[in-house]
Amino acid sequence: MIEVQSISKAFGDVKAVKDVSFIANNGKVTGLLGPNGAGKSTTLRILYGLLVQDAGSAQVDGIDIRSNRLHAQQKIGVLPDSHGLYIRLTAREHIHYFGRLHNMDENKLESRTNELLKILNMETIAERRVEGFSHGERMKVCLARSLIHDPPNILLDEPTNGLDVMTTRTVREMIAELKDRNIAVLFSSHLMHEVSRLCDHIVIISEGLVVASGTTDEIRAAAEEDNLEEAFVTLVERVAT
Amino acid sequence: MHPVTIVFGKEIRDATRDKRALLVAFGFPVLAPVLVYFMMTAIIELKMDAEKITIPIVGAQNAPAFIQWLEEQDVRLEEFSGDAEQAVRDKEQDLVVIIPGNYQRRLNELRTISIEIVSDGSRTASQPTVGRVHNLIRDYNREIASLRLIARGVSPEVMRVVISQTVDVATKQQRTATALNFIPLYIIMAAFVSGMGLAVDSTAGERERKTLESLIINPVERYQIITGKWLAATIFASLGMTLTLLLCIAAMSQVSLDEIGLKFHVTTPQIFLMLIATLPLAFLVTSMQLLLGIFAKSFKDAQSYIGLLTLLPVLSLVYTMFSPIRTEEWMFAIPMLGQHLLLVDVLGAKDVPLIGYFYSAISCLVLGMALVLVTARLFQRESILSN
Repeated sequence: MIEVQSISKAFGDVKAVKDVSFIANNGKVTGLLGPNGAGKSTTLRILYGLLVQDAGSAQVDGIDIRSNRLHAQQKIGVLPDSHGLYIRLTAREHIHYFGRLHNMDENKLESRTNELLKILNMETIAERRVEGFSHGERMKVCLARSLIHDPPNILLDEPTNGLDVMTTRTVREMIAELKDRNIAVLFSSHLMHEVSRLCDHIVIISEGLVVASGTTDEIRAAAEEDNLEEAFVTLVERVAT
Repeated sequence: MHPVTIVFGKEIRDATRDKRALLVAFGFPVLAPVLVYFMMTAIIELKMDAEKITIPIVGAQNAPAFIQWLEEQDVRLEEFSGDAEQAVRDKEQDLVVIIPGNYQRRLNELRTISIEIVSDGSRTASQPTVGRVHNLIRDYNREIASLRLIARGVSPEVMRVVISQTVDVATKQQRTATALNFIPLYIIMAAFVSGMGLAVDSTAGERERKTLESLIINPVERYQIITGKWLAATIFASLGMTLTLLLCIAAMSQVSLDEIGLKFHVTTPQIFLMLIATLPLAFLVTSMQLLLGIFAKSFKDAQSYIGLLTLLPVLSLVYTMFSPIRTEEWMFAIPMLGQHLLLVDVLGAKDVPLIGYFYSAISCLVLGMALVLVTARLFQRESILSN
């Protein structure tokens, strides 16, 4: 479970996050929705332990991220928005590197790696160096290495961005499977249909503030619009004026 | 596994697969000895050439004994005919020696013979050869004069009232060591060149290729990540230094130094001493490179900063060459200068005080660790992800 209470973060004069609160529960998919520059990535980076909020609190499974960063980081799996890989390492080596940094036992590491390679349908590319991998293949490597330690919370920054239909489907299936295993899934996106299809709970952020949150029905009701996309635009514009 | 070990292992594996970077890292240690070999061979040949001169001579048949003596002095003679002055003026000859026709007669009459050396005083290039011929004639004169005195029952020493004699305190090995100033330079440069690729790639490169964010989301302390990278770069730098040292020594033993009166001999214990003397430098050099790699805004930036850094050892060498200094113990504590002095002394078979090793090793290790701490602090900043 991820709990965020009134966090704010400024870079110099720019207030990237002004006041954001939400809860991502276990067994639920929570979507962080907002236009570009709304503060989604900053909020997520605070949750990863890469940035420290100026005010408010952020907790993972009851562990305060600011005061107990390493412990909190053990409880999360992250697919960050940069999908850089080490071009001279193989897919399997990438997964192993991250598993070991999570202090995994070697036997467990091996069996979990094989399991993930199978789920993500990447057994044929496991021993290949990632140089020359397609965008979808790279994404799968990133996904696998973020799930290797079987974390109880998953944070995904724009996970289906630029993926082909087949890979998008794999990612969706993956998210559904994580949800079934009672894992808290938090993902950010600016794609409306993606969010409405997958999320149990939606948090709409604009200009560093939460403008609405709830189920798709609740969001539509708040904006007095029938279409979710229209609702999103209305809510975002309401803040801007 | 300890996080430092994990990061170390990954960096080593990653770097050994980078063929181009490996070529740069270990191309230098292989090329440097080749350079040493050819430089030394060239120096020796130059010296030998200067000693083996050819003298164009006119009237050789007038003084057969003198000619024979000259040939015994390793001088080649060639018969010259024509206008000697014109030939020298036209730069066809450096000089021409003319033995007068009355040589034998004046010799028998015990009168002074004058042998002409036709040369051009404005041509500096021919001066050493001209000087050499003057010396040869002077030597021959002394030899004949001595024989004449002895024949009359007079000691030749009456002719020599005062003479000067040089006492060279340098051992043959030491003279070689000063001639070999560039071996320490190459070994020190190897510390910079061999670890550089890994140091830049694992800092600025990691940032440029956007792998840094995922890496630091892992539950590992930042200083542990940096330490792993530091040790990996240090292994590369140390390997480069060791390779340079061994290959340079191998190259030197192939050069026939005895031909110019120098001696080069290195024993196995000396090789170990040299490694002890220099390897601590690897820790310091790579820590500087990591710091610059983290500090730099981009990969290119990092490469240019670190390129400038490599000039440091060259400067330290130039300093020691142009201002000969008396080695004081504290000097061993100055990184690079210390290593340079230690190497010159060990190569010159001079005893180095133990405190010298201690100072140079400790100063490098302590400074290196301090820089790694600074690097870890920089690495901790939030702005590390934004360029």
